[in-house]
Amino acid sequence: MNSKIFIVTVSVIIIYLVIIIGWHVYVPQKEFTMQVPGADNRPPETARKADEVRIGEFFMRYEDTNSSLTGKWICFRGENYSNIIRTTDKLTLGQDSFPVLWGVETGEGHAAPVIYNGLAYFLDYDENLSSDMLRCFSLETGKEQWRRWYRVPMKRNHGFSRTVPFISDDFIITIGPQGHLMCCNPVTGDLLWSKDMQKEFKTEVPFWYTGQCPRVDDGILVIAPAGEDVLLAGIDCKTGETVWETPNTIKFKMSHSSVTPMNLLGKKCYVYAGIGGVCSVSAEKEDRGKLLWIQTKWQPSVIAPSPLQLSAGSIFLVAGYGAGGGMLKVDNSGNRWTTTITEQYKANEGLSSEQQTPILYNNMIITVIPKDGGSLRGKLVVYSPSDLHNPVWSSGADERFGLGPYLVINDRLFVFKDDGELYIYAISANKMQLEKKQRILEGVDAWGSMAYADGRLLVRDAHHIKCIKIN
Amino acid sequence: MNNPISRKQFLQICGTVATGTAIVSVSGFSVRRMMRDEADHFWQIDPSKCTFCGRCETDCVLSVSAVKCIHANKVCGYCDLCGGYYRANVKDLNTAAENLMCPTGAIVRKYIEDPYFEYTIDENLCNGCGKCAKGCNSFGNGSLYLQVKQELCKNCNECKISKVCPAGAIQRVPANKAYMLKDA
Repeated sequence: MNSKIFIVTVSVIIIYLVIIIGWHVYVPQKEFTMQVPGADNRPPETARKADEVRIGEFFMRYEDTNSSLTGKWICFRGENYSNIIRTTDKLTLGQDSFPVLWGVETGEGHAAPVIYNGLAYFLDYDENLSSDMLRCFSLETGKEQWRRWYRVPMKRNHGFSRTVPFISDDFIITIGPQGHLMCCNPVTGDLLWSKDMQKEFKTEVPFWYTGQCPRVDDGILVIAPAGEDVLLAGIDCKTGETVWETPNTIKFKMSHSSVTPMNLLGKKCYVYAGIGGVCSVSAEKEDRGKLLWIQTKWQPSVIAPSPLQLSAGSIFLVAGYGAGGGMLKVDNSGNRWTTTITEQYKANEGLSSEQQTPILYNNMIITVIPKDGGSLRGKLVVYSPSDLHNPVWSSGADERFGLGPYLVINDRLFVFKDDGELYIYAISANKMQLEKKQRILEGVDAWGSMAYADGRLLVRDAHHIKCIKIN
Repeated sequence: MNNPISRKQFLQICGTVATGTAIVSVSGFSVRRMMRDEADHFWQIDPSKCTFCGRCETDCVLSVSAVKCIHANKVCGYCDLCGGYYRANVKDLNTAAENLMCPTGAIVRKYIEDPYFEYTIDENLCNGCGKCAKGCNSFGNGSLYLQVKQELCKNCNECKISKVCPAGAIQRVPANKAYMLKDA
């Protein structure tokens, strides 16, 4: 009996041992195929590094719509860089809601559109493809016509996209969040040329990415790489060749502000508020690119608004995050330029703006006061250029707009609250009257600037663009 | 002695037979026609309605769905950075499993010339999840899309996928148009 139990026990142990050893020894590799790099026969020399950027490499066309529309909104703040539109379009200002013609979902960001001959364009960022993406839509139907994109992996930082393109008959130029310049044919979408400002000019892209919008003057793209060697540069829009450079001897760094063409005391120039100060470069043919003056007493750590020219020799400077505002006076005696900061104050002491560039309209400066602006925080305000500390008008306590954009169409101010509600004010001497308001979007962070042409107003929040008909 | 039926009875019998014959004939004809119509129709996905919800993979009565991804080569952009081939936010553009959208490795791509790649579908591996089609339609031009493979489909009277399809994309199509191809 004992021997039987012994035999059974040993047999069971042996069977278990065989099973366990077999379990470990048997490797069913023949059931699997390893999915490893190189299965697509890609030649090693064409293999891509994870961070390799080939600007404008991909293209897709979806539609080819013809339009009879001829309206244009060609760049950040419009053709005159003023955010003021003079039009014969008759705006619909009754109490009826503006109809929403179409809307599209966008990647997270704040890049705003331009409009040209019935097409709307903006530089989106597609998070799934990790790509900057120039997208073209029909202004009438909202149907996407084409897109050109390139892979540029990066992390979210208040979204991704930022800037407004520049468009003309022959080209559309974009600046991506990582400082990638791309120039395409606006009709066919063909890539014309591209540049990487980080590689070419050794630009240090600022925290929160590149917010500078492209400016074109007489066929020359004027940008401020503010890199190790180059402060400002002029690039031929047709060829992509750099035609002039301003050496960065003053060691400014790139801000979020855009280069602003001005005529100061009869001299055409480009004014740039960089990290380190404000400077001006000649725009005249005979000495284009020559550094005229710098002013380093104004140097906030973050600058998003662009300088605003108030008169032939005065420039209003403004920045957020506690910087406030300041007035820069320019003088030219002989061939010597001198500049003076005549006043500088904190945001709660006068006219200031965190993100949007104020509008100078009929000798009034219109803006929205930032969150550190004391009792006026978030309010729409009007100041006289002669007094930057006491507003001549401010909106009511329940009319606060955050970081939303605003523009003037004829004698009406359109303000887009940063939660997606549109307000329209009638502008009269030194005051405004609220005429109408309408919720357009339900989203958040509606910071991107608006665009208007052919009776259609484009607005955006962090995830959508919508087109409303306002005439 | 046989009892001759009356004329009235004779007419009643004739009427009954005629009526019964007519009912049986019409019923038989109708049933036959219905069966023939059913046999001549298949379930198919309308690509223009499909939203790539993933129900085709999970709701087919077969253990591996009869729905498969189809690739329209004439429509494809042959992109290196393909939204149907790569997962979102991939670090490297290579064929390692961790970079790929398809959970079963059913999409095969081959290098043609820089930067173009040809994509094909291994239908034996495809489970009809539609992830590739969703990526392609979101970021590309929709050359990847889903179709019911008729040689696999059981052609159920009431397709289980069609009952749950949120877009109403699955419909009966005649046998001579059993597929709704984009590059046909």
